[in-house]
Amino acid sequence: MPAAVSVVAGLFEEGPGGLRLLATRCTSCDTLYFPRRPTCRNPACETKAVEDAQLPRDGTIHSFTIQRYQPPAMFRIDDWKPYAIGVVDLGAGVQVMGILEGVAFDELAIGMPVRVTGRTLYRDPEGLDVRTFAFVPGGSEAA
Amino acid sequence: MSRPVFLLGAGAHPWGKWPDAPQVQLALHALRAALGDAGLGWRDVQGLVAASSRFEGGMGWGLHANEIVQLVAEQGIACVNVGGACAAGAIAFSTAHAMIASGQYDVVAAVGAERMPKGFIPRPPGSQDDIGDEDYLRWVTMGATNPAYWAIEARRRMHDHGTRPETFARAAVLMRSNAAGNPYARFRQPSTVAEVLASPLVADPLHLLEICPVSDGAAAVILVSHEIARRCGGRPVEVAGCAIASGAFGDPARRIPTISATVRPGVTHTSEVAGAVERAMSIAGIGPADVDVLEMADNTAWHLLAWPELFGMHAPGESDHLLETGKLAIGAGRLAINPSGGFLSFGEATTAQALMQVCEIAWQIRGEATGRQVPDARVGMTAVLGLGANGGSVILKR
Ligand SMILES: [Zn+2]
Repeated sequence: MPAAVSVVAGLFEEGPGGLRLLATRCTSCDTLYFPRRPTCRNPACETKAVEDAQLPRDGTIHSFTIQRYQPPAMFRIDDWKPYAIGVVDLGAGVQVMGILEGVAFDELAIGMPVRVTGRTLYRDPEGLDVRTFAFVPGGSEAA
Repeated sequence: MSRPVFLLGAGAHPWGKWPDAPQVQLALHALRAALGDAGLGWRDVQGLVAASSRFEGGMGWGLHANEIVQLVAEQGIACVNVGGACAAGAIAFSTAHAMIASGQYDVVAAVGAERMPKGFIPRPPGSQDDIGDEDYLRWVTMGATNPAYWAIEARRRMHDHGTRPETFARAAVLMRSNAAGNPYARFRQPSTVAEVLASPLVADPLHLLEICPVSDGAAAVILVSHEIARRCGGRPVEVAGCAIASGAFGDPARRIPTISATVRPGVTHTSEVAGAVERAMSIAGIGPADVDVLEMADNTAWHLLAWPELFGMHAPGESDHLLETGKLAIGAGRLAINPSGGFLSFGEATTAQALMQVCEIAWQIRGEATGRQVPDARVGMTAVLGLGANGGSVILKR
């Protein structure tokens, strides 16, 4: 397997156990934030001290769309073709947007169980696989 | 303590693509029209509030009001430049309103003018390329375009309320039908449900003709104190209420450009706009049922169904039936929505759009909206949303 690099640092980690989305938890009101944030924006929260946390791996599709037009060049992907983007409810009051894959467009459905995974966007000139997070059908094995 | 404020003049430059007219020229056109409508001249203006564009003019620092007075009226007046992205026009209005309501000024103009860049809106200079910048994140991690955010809301509405693709298309058709009578609108050719559904799918379920494009345009208003309104005659319209608001913690809306939402039960969707509307209604002492005409930001056909429900004018899910039975057409029901033709028929000229909405409401309340007049419109409201969770609403009444 070629060496890999995350498309942006600090958003997720990939290891033997799979991909984890890196979050922040407020130690006083328990609110989870993704991506990581330096403080808590809950107006009822006084202390706003935060610690590192990880998001749940499993969720359900809250809603989705198929992007039929190629996004601007800032989105780099090899072999572009129309793809699905969804909002996934991970529980714990957090909903995360991401690419949905591993399922035919006409089988996508609101409420479908999905789990987070990693996927390669493109191979850069140094031969590194540039990776992002995505969601695929099914619960995780670790769950 | 505050005092009543009146809109004495409204003016605009028609929307379109105007490659030969610099932005400041569009602004001056709108201001000249608004001053003419008010029966006032530049010598009467004591303050100018400009909605700052990040695309053109303003000496590169968003100083659009200063640029304008240095061109036409170097007379020492207060220049205020406000940001707020697509809601900047509403923030400019609210600021001008406060300047008069406070008693400090008697005549203040608010203006927004924009020439939009071609294609996708480029990122501003100085953006960070890291996890602190959600706009960067949405592009590099998933390529989420603005229509994708709106499409995700539209798909959810289909799930929650059984909205059909034909109903979204019908909303787009209604906007074209309204725009046919409006010389300020850019797209005035009538359309059909079949044509809308045959236009390319951009992001399911939204088609190209159900999503607003971008345009160039400008709009301006002249706000005055009661004393000036009485002395000048003209056709003053009372500002019954105006408010700006930002988002609430736990709002479930897919807020561009974020890639996640912290959702808390019971928090209003698009709370920045719903909050501004609620506050404006409270100031005006009215409820949703009192509004005769609404000019709202229809970035897509979905907004036309969802927002009147958000503001309490329709029950949740009720918009579909009202639209399909023709009740949202001008003169057909209790509420007319976007008699101007809306963003779908104008194309969005970001910072100018909210002031165009106010101009349209002023013309409607005065009974001057020839070709698209809502019969006996007495109370009109605007509602707009901008990047950064900015919402604004203005209520005018006869
Ligand atoms: Zn907290």
